[in-house]
Amino acid sequence: MLVATTVAACGGQDGSAPKAPATIPELTKDPLTLSFIWFDWPPAHALEAFANAEYTKGRPNVTIKVKTVPNANWHDAMFTQFAAHKTDFDIPILDSQHIGEAVTNGNILDITDFVKKNIDVKAYNPYLLAAYGQFPQAETGKRDENASLYGLPLLGDTWTMIYRKDLIGDKPPQTWDEMISVAEKCQADNPGVSGLAFHQANGSDAAAVTYNTVNGVYGGNLWDPKTRKIDGVLNDAAGQEAMDVLVNKMKPLTAKGSGNWFIDEVNAAVAQGKACIAFNWIAASGGLLDPKQSTLGTTREQILDKLGFAPLPSQKTNLVPLGGMGMHVSAYSPEANQAEALNFMKWFEQGDIQKKWAAAGGVPSRTDALESPEFLNAQPFNQVYTDSVPRMRDMWNVPEYARLVDIENTNVNAALNGAKAPKDALDDIAKQQQGVLNASSGKGGGGL
Amino acid sequence: MSDSAPLTTDHPGQVASATPPAPGRSRRLSDRGLAVAFTSPALLLLLAMSVFPLLWALYLSFTDYSATRGGPAQFLWFENYTAILTSPQVHQRALTTLIYVVGAVALQTVLGFAIAYLISRRAHGRGLLTTLFLVPMMLSPVVVGLFWRFMLDAQFGVINSMLGSLGLGQVEWLTRQRTALLSLVLVDTWQWTPFIMLIALAGLTAVPKYLYEAASIDRASEWFQFRTITLPLVWPLLLIAVLFRAIEAFRLFDLVYILTSGGPGVSTETLSFHVYKVAFLGFNTGTASAYGILMVVIVIVLTQLYLRYLNKLKED
Repeated sequence: MLVATTVAACGGQDGSAPKAPATIPELTKDPLTLSFIWFDWPPAHALEAFANAEYTKGRPNVTIKVKTVPNANWHDAMFTQFAAHKTDFDIPILDSQHIGEAVTNGNILDITDFVKKNIDVKAYNPYLLAAYGQFPQAETGKRDENASLYGLPLLGDTWTMIYRKDLIGDKPPQTWDEMISVAEKCQADNPGVSGLAFHQANGSDAAAVTYNTVNGVYGGNLWDPKTRKIDGVLNDAAGQEAMDVLVNKMKPLTAKGSGNWFIDEVNAAVAQGKACIAFNWIAASGGLLDPKQSTLGTTREQILDKLGFAPLPSQKTNLVPLGGMGMHVSAYSPEANQAEALNFMKWFEQGDIQKKWAAAGGVPSRTDALESPEFLNAQPFNQVYTDSVPRMRDMWNVPEYARLVDIENTNVNAALNGAKAPKDALDDIAKQQQGVLNASSGKGGGGL
Repeated sequence: MSDSAPLTTDHPGQVASATPPAPGRSRRLSDRGLAVAFTSPALLLLLAMSVFPLLWALYLSFTDYSATRGGPAQFLWFENYTAILTSPQVHQRALTTLIYVVGAVALQTVLGFAIAYLISRRAHGRGLLTTLFLVPMMLSPVVVGLFWRFMLDAQFGVINSMLGSLGLGQVEWLTRQRTALLSLVLVDTWQWTPFIMLIALAGLTAVPKYLYEAASIDRASEWFQFRTITLPLVWPLLLIAVLFRAIEAFRLFDLVYILTSGGPGVSTETLSFHVYKVAFLGFNTGTASAYGILMVVIVIVLTQLYLRYLNKLKED
């Protein structure tokens, strides 16, 4: 640990994001490997295959390598290299909430001028463009055209509701309360099948996203970005109601011992027919239709007879969590690789390429691609994404994100597993997160 | 003696060698020079990988340095140390670590010694049994953590499946406060009991047989022989094994990371896991360095006290 800390500490500092050129510099004709870093999940493998098949048609001297790490190591794998001011990747795929930390530390290029000259920004829902690139963070649903951009969308995502048509009927529940009562009845009618399955683990952002989703649906807010106030906002009446619904109404409908479930475990429960209604990221749902991984049918069609996909139910609001990630350019990458990275981004954001990406299993962000038959017909849950785009809300995109999400994850996980009373957990989150924001003017002291 | 030394000697009785230097060996390289040449790569590596990081971390521990945020480090002197020592979060992790270390090492010592004692009494198959028992110790803790995570899964795990077939209820091994820490202790015990067993077995086989023969002639009972011959002779060696295991257990990180991620909540977060979060989630490098230094100091102080006790035991 001491060695790792010291290696990271010897890196040196800058502090502000360097600018990428507006025009793509001359590209090398020598063999070049363009490296991405992402966490290990199906879209990462799909991206490598897609880019090597399509991008290399125009740039045969380039090889695309998508390096993957376990999800729980994703942030650390990128930011320890950023701290050393030397990266073995050219394009870090950051979660939208990582942007603040990377921009403030000068780890990724400011591509505002590049975007103005090379990207058709009107082809996107403004919030999608802002969510994966803008800093300071955009107001929910909007984009500030005067703000700088540091990334472009790579993979859109949100939660889909997965429901058993053979157990609860073809029509999905429309409100959150209705969803809970349907799950309750389904669980009572089908012994061995739990009413609900959702993310509860305390690694990554699992339990935090679940609470944030319920918080949004019940009209709560995570913070007031203008005053940077969390205590009193997150744990207001709406926030408390959301925590109560999650812990006292939803948790009893989950399987025993599911308190450490994340993406794979929820998918496993659905595939084995152990859940009436489940929530998961769309980009991770492809495996549910694979007969080799499912006990719901021996063909894709048989599985689809039993599984339905729908946008999340609404309650006091219709907000859904914004998932997905953007592409960025490492400030420590060699110039030739940075130029190639910019060229890749320009190529990737073209309308026809976005449609091909959709057909290859990706979730595009351009509106024309989202509404294209290539995307909508590729998977049964793709329509859910297109319908959910106007409803999205993100977490905090600030340099302190990693600590904020850890505080929320551990406390929500504690409440879900009986280690803390729900109200105490929410009050602790608000108080501890406020402490982190208030202390953020300090540097490497504190942090306990 | 250097190889250019004269053939005579100042020391009476010592015969001077008339053998010429070995071919290929430089006449200018003295024995001391040769020794330095051979040891310097290891010394340089040690300096670069251990001593320098330790000293650098010591320096950082007095500052507000962050590995990712800009600006020069400012001296805080003992502010980081005070914050750590007075933090309720740290106290909670220290208690968790203490419970874990005491529970795991005590269980491993009892089981390890018992297995070693039983093996030592066997005349045949001792080697094979010892080898089989050592297998868990040879596995990577990450691999051990992963397969135990699957085995302890409340829904799909083989342990609950076996309990179910015995008519017992499901246990939430990894998601309840008490069982999560117990699971960590059990998995660590499964992996590291063989280590204690191995050391204890070495001690048991070194006990002179004539002591037992003399005791048998005096018609001493098995229990009396164990209490007055076996245990006193093996005890010092066993305590060294306990020391090694306690230091290892105090640094526990990998099993926590894989099995529980510190949960539920933070109830299985050990000190090492907490340092990791401080260092790499918030990049509070100054605080993390102070935290790491304090852990090293605690281990050194406790080890010194323990070794003094061991020496006293030997003298007695």
